[in-house]
Amino acid sequence: MLLEVRNLTVCYDRAMVINDLSMGVETGELVSLVGPNGAGKSTLLRAITGLVAREKEITSRSTSGDITIEGTVTFDGERIDKMPAYDIVKRGLIHCPERRRPFKEMTVIDNLMAGAYLLHKKDEIADNRDKVYQLFPVLQSRSGQISGTLSGGEQQMLAIGRALMSNPKLLCIDEPSTGLAPMLRAEVFERIAEVRNLGITVLLVEQEVSTVFKMASRNYVLSSGKIIAEGAGDQLLQDEVIRKTYLGL
Amino acid sequence: MALDIIISGLISGSVYALLAIGFSLIFGVARIVNIAHTAFYMVAGYCIYFATHEMGFHPLWGMVAAVILVTLLGMVAYKFLINPIREHEGAVLIATIALAMALQEIMTLIFTGTYLSVPSLIKGYFLILDVKVFYQQLLTFFAALIALGVLWALLMKTRLGLAIRSTAQDREVANLMGINEARVAMITMGISVGLASFTGAIVVPLTILDPLMWMHPLIMMMAVVVLGGLGSLKGSFIGAYILGFAEAIVVFAIPAGAFLKGSVALSIMILVLIIRPEGLFGVTFEEER
Repeated sequence: MLLEVRNLTVCYDRAMVINDLSMGVETGELVSLVGPNGAGKSTLLRAITGLVAREKEITSRSTSGDITIEGTVTFDGERIDKMPAYDIVKRGLIHCPERRRPFKEMTVIDNLMAGAYLLHKKDEIADNRDKVYQLFPVLQSRSGQISGTLSGGEQQMLAIGRALMSNPKLLCIDEPSTGLAPMLRAEVFERIAEVRNLGITVLLVEQEVSTVFKMASRNYVLSSGKIIAEGAGDQLLQDEVIRKTYLGL
Repeated sequence: MALDIIISGLISGSVYALLAIGFSLIFGVARIVNIAHTAFYMVAGYCIYFATHEMGFHPLWGMVAAVILVTLLGMVAYKFLINPIREHEGAVLIATIALAMALQEIMTLIFTGTYLSVPSLIKGYFLILDVKVFYQQLLTFFAALIALGVLWALLMKTRLGLAIRSTAQDREVANLMGINEARVAMITMGISVGLASFTGAIVVPLTILDPLMWMHPLIMMMAVVVLGGLGSLKGSFIGAYILGFAEAIVVFAIPAGAFLKGSVALSIMILVLIIRPEGLFGVTFEEER
């Protein structure tokens, strides 16, 4: 197992967002996490990559709220649940956050360089940049542009490109298609498939079930912080209850 | 008179730019409103006085010592006073006001409240159109420009600068790039206080030292930041020169204008807040979580 989550529970104040959840991703897979709004998909990713722990640390120093995290997360044979987020990145577990969140006031190339922050060799950075440009030619033609002025689709490509700069082993992408026109969605998904073909394991959170089920090797259906079903896409689609209740199809 | 205004405007503009940019930097990276920013500037002035008058060093060595010592003082204050309460904006505000007043009182205890002065690095002056321009004024101006240039290069051309800019944009996502937010904040505090102390060091030969000398630059600096837009370094830079010149015009062009000096900044601040609250180049921050 490249990533293994065991009995993870996350509570914000008294609300249990992730409820005793266990899941895993094998090397080379493209695993999807689907489920209705508020199921805890983003929180699960944020807990895996250390952002919930960071939030917990911040809230513990102020008066607002209280967060509890229990359970273990193992990545590449190493416990990461007690590690700060910036250390987890060093292990090759990269999180491409919800709403893309490029550094809006910075240029495209500066965003990519920020993605390569942990790399020190100039050649390696240049190689990675060329790889990202090959995957997303639009980023090359806009390299000097302030990223806040890019379109939504371009910002998503930038966010994925930025994540690729640091040689990820596992790339977690949170809702890449949200807010994009259908054409652009298709393109983003195509690119994600290409990322996987580069040999990068992908954990994809998405609402767009129909496309994702075709791409993914395995899927988890999440609801109220629990995994209620797991399996290949067509297998899950055959189950009437899952289809109607959780996927809204 | 026009030349007086230009010289005075350029010098105070550069000084306010240095102060406001340092203040904006730490605000951007760590959301800290550091009221004690100009108090560090004052302490640097006293350090130079102490080094030159009490210990007999050359003013240049006094400057170097002042910048190093005050920067360390700022980082210690950050580590033990500000960092533990960093997520509490109100508490940080109160703590830094307290720190500024404590520094003011400590300086009063050591040096008393009397006016003191520090010798210029270069003595003498030259005349342009019958206006005396002191070499020290030129030196201060160019030193400020060089400091701004070095800071720009640091921010735009280095890996540390990239980390600082990324953290200022989105603290959470900076973590996802592998940037250690706490360390960047600490280093930025060092740079910020370093700039304040450097400003104090280059200004002090032109002005008079007293324990309250941090008040006026503080107000000007706040006005610059409000005018330029909180968190925008470009805004701070341009706003600083606008206010520097506005102040110089009031002082030189209005009879007894020097008494009105203090009100310039506040009037501009009020106007900006009424007309354009986000300032000239206001930055909208990514929602914090």
